[in-house]
Amino acid sequence: MNGTDSPKTPAAPPAPRAGQREARAWLLGLLGWLVPGLGHLLQKKFDRAAVFFVSICALAALGLAMGAKLYGPPFVRDQGLFLFLLHVLGFVGDLGAGLLFFAARFQGLGQVYLSRAVGDYGTVFFLAAGLLNLLTALDAYDVAVGKKE
Amino acid sequence: MEPQGPALVLSHIEAMALFAFFTSLVFAFLSKRGWRDRTKYFLWTFVLFLLAGVGLGWLMYPFPR
Repeated sequence: MNGTDSPKTPAAPPAPRAGQREARAWLLGLLGWLVPGLGHLLQKKFDRAAVFFVSICALAALGLAMGAKLYGPPFVRDQGLFLFLLHVLGFVGDLGAGLLFFAARFQGLGQVYLSRAVGDYGTVFFLAAGLLNLLTALDAYDVAVGKKE
Repeated sequence: MEPQGPALVLSHIEAMALFAFFTSLVFAFLSKRGWRDRTKYFLWTFVLFLLAGVGLGWLMYPFPR
């Protein structure tokens, strides 16, 4: 020490390492999948969080009210491979709704297939809610890693 | 036992309009930043959803159920 050092400025908080940032992004994506909009809410993207939550919950609720059929195991295997694959894909789409799907299944909703057009609309509404929720969860991940604003 | 009917019965056009509204809203907020761009994108996708639905309905009209 020679007494010529300039006074130290307060150190900026250390930037998170790439691994930490990636892990946080995965966590936010996961939370965004479980609850629509939560991944954005935790990143202070309030407008997007509110719109995603309201829209996806509304689509899911409308679907259930219209008599949506929720896909899930056990899958029927005696009606051909094509129908089996359609049911599996339907399950993946429904699962995209996160906790909404689990809550509906837990409540015993969506177990009966209504052979009416409005029941088919309901199934599509819930499926769309699941697929849109997957997109919003991916968006939350992209925002967290800095790929999107 | 007779299965219970749905709690909500919408007409085709009502169901299509609601679906188009919420889906367009999510698309607009996912792909655009800024209220002006989002509004334009929302209106564009909403109208396209409706037009495509009505157009496909007319195309399928001659086919038997």
